[in-house]
Amino acid sequence: MEFDIGYLVQQMPALRAGFLLTIQISAIAMVLSVLIGLFGASMRVMRVPVLSQVFAAYVEFIRNTPLLVQLFFVFFGLPAIGLTLSLFWSGVLALTLWAGAFQTENVRGGLAAVAPGLREAARALGLTRGQYLRKIGLPLAVRTGLPSMLNTCVSLVKNSAYVSAIGLRDLAGVAFDRIASDFRAFEMLAVLLVGYLVLVLSLSAAVRVIEHHLQRPFRA
Amino acid sequence: MSYGLALIVENAPLLLIGLRATLLLAAVTLLSSTILGVVLGTLATAKSRWVRVLVALYVETFRDIPLIVTIFTIFFGAPFLGVPLEPFPAVALGLSLWGGANGAEIVRGGINAVPKGQREAATALGLRVWKIYLLILWPQALRAVLPAFTGLLALIIQSTSLGALVGVTEFLKAGGLIIERSTVMQGINPAFEIYGFVLLVYFSICSVLTWASRRLERRLGRASATTIRAPDASRL
Repeated sequence: MEFDIGYLVQQMPALRAGFLLTIQISAIAMVLSVLIGLFGASMRVMRVPVLSQVFAAYVEFIRNTPLLVQLFFVFFGLPAIGLTLSLFWSGVLALTLWAGAFQTENVRGGLAAVAPGLREAARALGLTRGQYLRKIGLPLAVRTGLPSMLNTCVSLVKNSAYVSAIGLRDLAGVAFDRIASDFRAFEMLAVLLVGYLVLVLSLSAAVRVIEHHLQRPFRA
Repeated sequence: MSYGLALIVENAPLLLIGLRATLLLAAVTLLSSTILGVVLGTLATAKSRWVRVLVALYVETFRDIPLIVTIFTIFFGAPFLGVPLEPFPAVALGLSLWGGANGAEIVRGGINAVPKGQREAATALGLRVWKIYLLILWPQALRAVLPAFTGLLALIIQSTSLGALVGVTEFLKAGGLIIERSTVMQGINPAFEIYGFVLLVYFSICSVLTWASRRLERRLGRASATTIRAPDASRL
């Protein structure tokens, strides 16, 4: 079988839609998971009773179970007890919960690296814990934690391909579907390789630019 | 909720078959990833720049492409190359290529963590390159990479669940079969209980390995200068 450019051009609209869905799902999950991370890490570092333990358990659980099983649990398991979400939001929820655990760890690492004197100073000045986190702790934590947070974002984009397993038509979903129906394996696999490499490499490039930018105050 | 437990007990044989396939797949993958990782990781410390660039290209490619895409590519792509693969070997091959890339990163880090003077001294003594690796660098790197390989094993066990998508009856697939069967035969949907149970089993196995990896890191870390950290679970 030969590589058929014509076929590829013909399938472009479907592939573009899949590519956009991949970006859309990843972007929503990215934002939500960072919010989880900021909140979870604050609870952990401030040792808020109950919530701190809940987040510790959540992080351990997500890290030690396969994303695919988490996704199946959300998509097939939750409706069985009456919690039905659309296909799209099931995918977003599973990816968000997954990435949220890693973002919690990333931000926590950043918060732990903030000099303890700053927190003592904030307390001496009469700032509440919430004020300390908002004005001092988290801005500094995000700066030091940013490289690992962005790495998690890269993994998130990559792993968004898992949602094709529950039938979402993201880039991987469209391509797998065309392989099954039209037997056009070479063309579609080439699209997949190029598509994900472009996404991952451009995000990685953005990571480097942002890291470089963040280092500016510390360069001579 | 109560029928969930009964269902699990009733279907224990099927779950055990699935668990065995999961562990077998993980064992095969660990073995081949280790071999591939040692070879590539060693080449990544070679003098030749071209060799290093080629290895880096391999490692980046397989770490950047979603694992699900790699496995589907092999499973669906192999017949087009005239070598149709059964699900199990196809998944094992895909996981090994990916695991080998991660293993190579670990081994490269381990060899580079050996103090530079060791290699220089060995070279000064006139040892051949293969002897330097075999007698000096690998034994010292072993300490540093042990925790990371334990962590990698946890990741490999998690990623074997992808086998369910191409028809390997591993643990996740076994759970899916039980759900399907009870929906058809008894008209109930135990997806919540069964997938919840599957999650718990993966969690028990992997958290033990993660714990062991952290413990090894602390213990060996005290003895040697550096240990290589396990790849992050987000690398999956």
